Amino acid sequence: MSSLTEGHPPIGIDDINDESKHKKLNTDVVERESGEREMGHSIHRSGSRPQLDLSKAAIQGNFEEKDPTILLPNQSDDISHLALDIGGSLIKLVYFSRHEDRSVNDRRKKSIKEIFGVSNCNRRSYPILGGRLHFVKFETTKINECLDFISSKQLHRGGLDARHWNSDAPDNENAVIKATGGGAFKFADLFKERLGVSIDKEDEMGCLVSGANFLLKAIRHEAFTHMEGHKEFVQIDTNDLFPYLLVNIGSGVSMIKVDGDGKFQRVSGTNVGGGTYWGLGKLLTKCKSFDELLELSQRGDNRTIDMLVGDIYGGMDYSKIGLSASTIASSFGKAISENKNLEDYRPEDISLSLLRMISYNIGQIAYLNALRFGLKRIFFGGFFIRGHAYTMDTISFAIQFWSKGDAQAMFLRHEGFLGALGAFMSYEKHGLDDLMVHHLVERFPMGAPYTGGKIHGPPLGDLNEKASGEELVGTRSSWISDMADSNLSRDAWVQYSNSSNMLGSIHCKLHENVHQLASFQSVGFKQKISWMEKFVRKGTEITAPVPMAPPGTTGLGGFEVPSSKGDTLRSDASNLNVGVLHLVPTLEVFPLLVDPKTYEPNTIDLADHGELEYWFTVLSEHLPDLVDKAVASEGGTEDAKRRGDAFARAFSAHLARLMEEPAAYGKLGLANLLELREECLREFQFVDAYRSIKQRENEASLAVLPDLLMELDSMNEEARLLTLIEGVLAANIFDWGSRACVDLYHKGTIIEIYRMSRNKMQRPWRVDDFDLFKKKVLGSGEKKPHPHKRALLFVDNAGADVVLGMLPLARELLRRGTEVVLVANSLPALNDVTAMELPDIVAEAAKHCDILRRAAEAGGLLVDVMINAADVNKENSSSVPLMVVENGCGSPCIDLRQVSSELAAAAKDADLVILEGMGRSLHTNYNAQFKCDALKLAMVKNQRLAEKLIKGNIYDCVCRYEPASSDLQSSSLS
Amino acid sequence: MEIASPQPSTDEGSHLALDIGGSLIKLVYSSNTSEPDDKGKQSSKECSGVSNDSNDYPVLGGRLHFAKFETSKINDCLEFISSKQLHRHGRWHHEAAGHDKDTIKATGGGAYRFADLFKEKLGVGLDKVDEMDCLVSGANFLLNAVHPEAFTYINGREEYVQIDPNDLYPYLLVNIGSGVSMIKVDGVGKFERVSGTSVGGGTFWGLGRLLTNCKSFDELLELSHNGNNRVIDMLVGDIYGGADYMKIGLTSTTIASSFGKAISENKELGDYRPEDISRSLLRMISNNIGQISYLNALRFGLKRIFFGGFFIRGHAYTMDTISVAVHFWSKGEAQAMFLKHEGFLGALGAFMSYETHGIDTIITPSS
Repeated sequence: MSSLTEGHPPIGIDDINDESKHKKLNTDVVERESGEREMGHSIHRSGSRPQLDLSKAAIQGNFEEKDPTILLPNQSDDISHLALDIGGSLIKLVYFSRHEDRSVNDRRKKSIKEIFGVSNCNRRSYPILGGRLHFVKFETTKINECLDFISSKQLHRGGLDARHWNSDAPDNENAVIKATGGGAFKFADLFKERLGVSIDKEDEMGCLVSGANFLLKAIRHEAFTHMEGHKEFVQIDTNDLFPYLLVNIGSGVSMIKVDGDGKFQRVSGTNVGGGTYWGLGKLLTKCKSFDELLELSQRGDNRTIDMLVGDIYGGMDYSKIGLSASTIASSFGKAISENKNLEDYRPEDISLSLLRMISYNIGQIAYLNALRFGLKRIFFGGFFIRGHAYTMDTISFAIQFWSKGDAQAMFLRHEGFLGALGAFMSYEKHGLDDLMVHHLVERFPMGAPYTGGKIHGPPLGDLNEKASGEELVGTRSSWISDMADSNLSRDAWVQYSNSSNMLGSIHCKLHENVHQLASFQSVGFKQKISWMEKFVRKGTEITAPVPMAPPGTTGLGGFEVPSSKGDTLRSDASNLNVGVLHLVPTLEVFPLLVDPKTYEPNTIDLADHGELEYWFTVLSEHLPDLVDKAVASEGGTEDAKRRGDAFARAFSAHLARLMEEPAAYGKLGLANLLELREECLREFQFVDAYRSIKQRENEASLAVLPDLLMELDSMNEEARLLTLIEGVLAANIFDWGSRACVDLYHKGTIIEIYRMSRNKMQRPWRVDDFDLFKKKVLGSGEKKPHPHKRALLFVDNAGADVVLGMLPLARELLRRGTEVVLVANSLPALNDVTAMELPDIVAEAAKHCDILRRAAEAGGLLVDVMINAADVNKENSSSVPLMVVENGCGSPCIDLRQVSSELAAAAKDADLVILEGMGRSLHTNYNAQFKCDALKLAMVKNQRLAEKLIKGNIYDCVCRYEPASSDLQSSSLS
Repeated sequence: MEIASPQPSTDEGSHLALDIGGSLIKLVYSSNTSEPDDKGKQSSKECSGVSNDSNDYPVLGGRLHFAKFETSKINDCLEFISSKQLHRHGRWHHEAAGHDKDTIKATGGGAYRFADLFKEKLGVGLDKVDEMDCLVSGANFLLNAVHPEAFTYINGREEYVQIDPNDLYPYLLVNIGSGVSMIKVDGVGKFERVSGTSVGGGTFWGLGRLLTNCKSFDELLELSHNGNNRVIDMLVGDIYGGADYMKIGLTSTTIASSFGKAISENKELGDYRPEDISRSLLRMISNNIGQISYLNALRFGLKRIFFGGFFIRGHAYTMDTISVAVHFWSKGEAQAMFLKHEGFLGALGAFMSYETHGIDTIITPSS
C-alpha cells in the first residue's frame, strides 16, 4: 500500500475518515491493530494529498446488514481547527483538516503558470484543497466518547501532524477551543481536566446566525422546501437573503430574526422542542434513542390517540371556521375518553402524535413570529429535524396553513451544525469568510466520521455541489441496456462481433434501413484509410489481453439492485445528509459562461423517477465489472479485493440511499451520480482503475497516428476538416463506460467498433451544424476566414478518442494559427485521459509531427525533451502554442461553475470552446451558452438519451455549433 | 352576587342549553324554583369529573344553573336532564310558543355527534348553535352583565378587573377546551376565529392520563400542586451549568426544554413522581397557550386577552403560568384575564340563543 501511495503523487484520495484508536473500536479490531502494526504506518503522505489509509479497513458485522460499519482504524488527518457546539442533547463538532502544500514541479504546470500569468501563490495541484470541513456529533450524555474522539485525533492540538506544517506552534500549553451551547459553560472544567484545553465560549445565537449565513451563502444546495413529501432545493440569492427568521430546534427552540451578517435578534422561542419530543417519547414508549423514536413514528397512526374535529363533530367537518374532520382538535385528546392505559396504545402511534404536536406547534409559533416582523422566509435548523420527512411536512403544513401560503418553511441540509459552524467561524483566521459557492465541493465518503465512534456504512452525504465533471459513465454503461433496447441481445453481439457485417446489422437495426447495410462495405474508407488497417492489427494485438480479475474473486460478487424504499426507514443518525466539505480556493467559475446564475450543468434531471430508476439500473449492472477492473488495476491483491468489496458495498449503499431519497445529497443530476461513483472509487483508494487499459489504447492509437496524419495531409482543406470532425465523432465510441463496448473489448474486436463507428459518419448527422462551423473556420466565397485566437478543447477518453480524434483536430487548428489548449481531467474518471497523462501523449505524437512538436514546445510541453535550446528558440517563434490544462474535476462530466483556476485563466483569451464526448457535451452542458463560439461533438451511445435529447437513436452523432451570441444564431439552437 | 333582571320576561319559562365538547358537557338551565343554593357563589372549579353539582345564579323569578359532565359519561348527563325534567320545561315553553318540535339548544361538536342519542333517550331534538357564536355571546354577556367576572392572576393573587362595557372591544377570547380556539371579538356578534392550537386541555388530560394513573382531570390537576417541574424539565441552568443566559433574557430557571431532562437520565416513567410530571405538563401547555395567545393578540393589536374554557378550572398554577407567559412575551404590554364562568361560555351562549331567554337585557347593579 505504501508503494501505491508513493507511486501516484498527483492522485490522492481525500475524504478520509479516520477513526484511529478510538475506544469504541470493538475488541477484535483493537487486537488486530496491535497485531498488524507494521501495516499501520502507511499513511504518511508523500507530499501529496493524504491517502485514505485503508490498512485494516474492514466491514464489521454481517454483510447482509443494510448498513454495515466500515472501520478505518488507521486513518488520520491534519487538523487545524476544532469547534464545538455542546447542547443539551447533542454535541456537535466541526473540524478542519488540510494538507501541506505540494510543490508542483512538473513542467506542464510551470509553463502554464507563465503563459497564463496564474500567480495564485498557494497554487497546488488539484484538488488543491484549502482543506476539508468535517461534521461529527455525539450525544451529550456520552461526552466521554467525544473527548476520546478528540483526543485520539489530537484535534485539540491542531491534529496529529500539527507541527509538521506549523512548526512554530507552541506545544499547546494554552490551547483553546472555541465552543458554544450551554455545555461550553457546563463542561469547561471537564475539557480542561481531560484534554488540558480551555474552552473559549462563543455566544450561541451569534454562532447560529453566522453558521446559517455561511451555509446559505456558500452552499448551493443547502436550503430546501419540503411539502407533502416533495423536496425541492431553493436557489438562494445572496443579495436577497435578509431578513429571514431562523428557527433552531434543539432541545428547546430559538427563533431569531436575522437582518444581516452579525445583525440579529432572538425574538422568540419555545420550550416545546426536540427535548420534549425525546423526553416525553422516552417516558411513553421506552425507546432507547431519539432515532428509534423517530423511526417508530413512521409506522404510526396518530388518529388513534389524537382527538380530531371529526371525533367531536361525529365525523362532520366544522367547515365554517375552516376545520376539516381530520384536523386535530386536541393532541392526545382521545386518550381522555377511553378506558385504556399506556400499554394499550401502540408506541408508533404515540410517537407520531407527539411528533406532529411538537412540529406543528413550532411551525405555528414560527409563523406568528415571522408575521410579526413581516418575514417571508423561515429557515429551520437544529438536530430535531434530522431530515425527517414527516417533521418537515408538518412544519411546512403549519406555516402554509396559517400564512395561507404567504410564508415559506425552508430546511437546511446542515441543520444540526449551525452553532458549531458558527463557533468555528469565530476563530480569527478560519478562512471561510471569503469563500464563495464555487470554492466548495461537498463529498460524501462512506467513512465520514459523522458520528463519533464507528464509521457507518451508509453514505453520509451526498453530492451536493460537485466540482462536477463526470464522464458519462452512464453513457457508456447505458450502452448495454441500449443494446437490449434495440433488441440486440448480447448473444447477437457476440455473433456479430467477428463478422464484418456487424456494422451493417447494427445500422440496420437502428435505422431500419436494410439497404444501407449493403452499401456500407463500399463506402470506401477502407481503401483510403490505410492507417486503419494498421490500427486494426494493433488493436487486436493489444486489446485482447486486457487483464481481468477472474470472476468471483471479489468476494461479494454481484450486487443487489438498490433496495426499494419499502418500509425501511432511515433511522441511523449518520444518515443525515451532510458530507465533508472541501474548501478549494482555486476553483473558479468558467468565465465564458453567458450566465453563470442560470447555468445548470445537468441536462438530465433525475427528479423524474423513471429516469432515476433507469440510471440506477445502469450503474448497478455496471458495478461488478467495474469492481473487477478496479481490483485488477491494483494487481488483484487480497487487499485490493477487500477494498473492491468495500467499494461495491459503499457504492451500493449510496445508490440505495439515493433511490430512497434522490435529493438526499442535494439536487441530484446525472453528473452528480456519475461523479459519486468516481469519488467512491477514490475513497477506497482505487486511484485509476483504467490505467493499464488507457495505456494500451494510447499505445495502439499512437502507433497509427502518423499514417492518419499523412492521409489527412493529402486531402484538401474542406475534405480534411470534414474528415477531422468525423474522426472525432467516430473515435468517441471508445468509451469504457459502455458495457456493450466493454463486452466487445473482451472479445478482442476493438476495431470492429471503430469501423462501425466510421461508417456511421455519413452526414447529415442527427444534429449537424458542420457547414456553419466550416464557414467560420474556412470562410466562404471571397470572405477570408478569421482564425480563432485560442481554442479550448475539452477532451474525453484516452486512446483513439483523444489520439486519433481530438489531437488531429487540435493540429488543424494550430496549423491555422489558433492557439490550442487541451482541457483534461485533473483526476481519473473511467478511461478519460487526464491532464497528467496528456503531455506524454503529446510528446509521443510530436515525435512524428512537426506541427505538434513546435506547438508543444511553444506551449512548454516539451522543454526537457531532447531538443537543444537553440532549436527551441528557433522554432518557438514559428508556432502558436499547444497547451494542456487540468479542468479541476475528477468526473466524467463537468460542472462549469467549478473549474480550476488555470482553466479559468486559459479561458480569458479563448474565442472557441470545443466540448467533446457525452459526459461534457450531452449529459452536461448540452444547453450551456457560451460567450464565445462553441462546438459540441459527441456520439450518443445511449438509446434513451438519444431519444430524449435529439429525438434520434443510439450511435447518432451530434455536431452542434453555436456562434458567440453576437454572431449569427445557429438554427439548431433550441 | 346577584344577577337581576329589571324587566323580567313574562314568558320566561325554564330553559336548558348544552355545550357538548370533546371532553365535557356543560349545561346551563334556568328554573322557576327559588330554592337557595349555597354553592352558587362558588366558581365551578371544584366540580369533579362526574359531578352534577351546579352553580346557580338567581335570575329574577328564577335561577341560572350551571352543571357539567364528562362527555364519556353522557348517560349520566341524560339521566340528570331526565330526572329534573329539564327537557320538559323546554317543551312546555315551546309548545306554548307554538313550536312543533321539542328542541334543546346545543353547541359544541357533540351537538352533532349525539343528536340521535338525545332524540332516542329524551325524545328531544338538538337545535345546533354555532360554537364560536356561543362562545362569543356567552363571553360578551358575562363581561357586560356579570360583576365581578373577569380577573387577573398575578403572583398568586386574583384581582378583579372593572370592565367598562363601552371599552370592551376589541379583545381576544381564548377558549381552552380539549383544543384551543382563539377568537378576535370586535363587538356583539362580530368576531373571527383567528387561531387555535391542538395543544389544550385534552392534551393535558390525555397525556397526563398516559403518564400518571390519574382517574380524572381534577385528580391530575390536583397532583400538579405538589409537583416540581425542575425534576423533569431541562432548564437553562441545566444546560449552562447553572449560569443564566442573560444576554437573551433567559434566567437559569427558564425552561429550555419541557421534559428535556427525561432525555439524559437513565430513568423510566416509573422513576418519576406523577406530581412532577403533571406539573411539567401543565406548565408546558399553559405556557404554550399563553405564548400563542399573545402572538395573536399582538398581531391584531389587542391588549386584553380573556381566557375561558374548562381547562383552567380556576387552577392557580395554570393561570399563573399563562399570565407569566403573556407578560413575558409581551414585556408587560398585554394582560391575561380569566373569567369566573370560564367553562360555561358556550353553554351560556347557547342558552342566549333562545329567542326569549330573558337575560340579554340584564344589567349588573353597580357594586
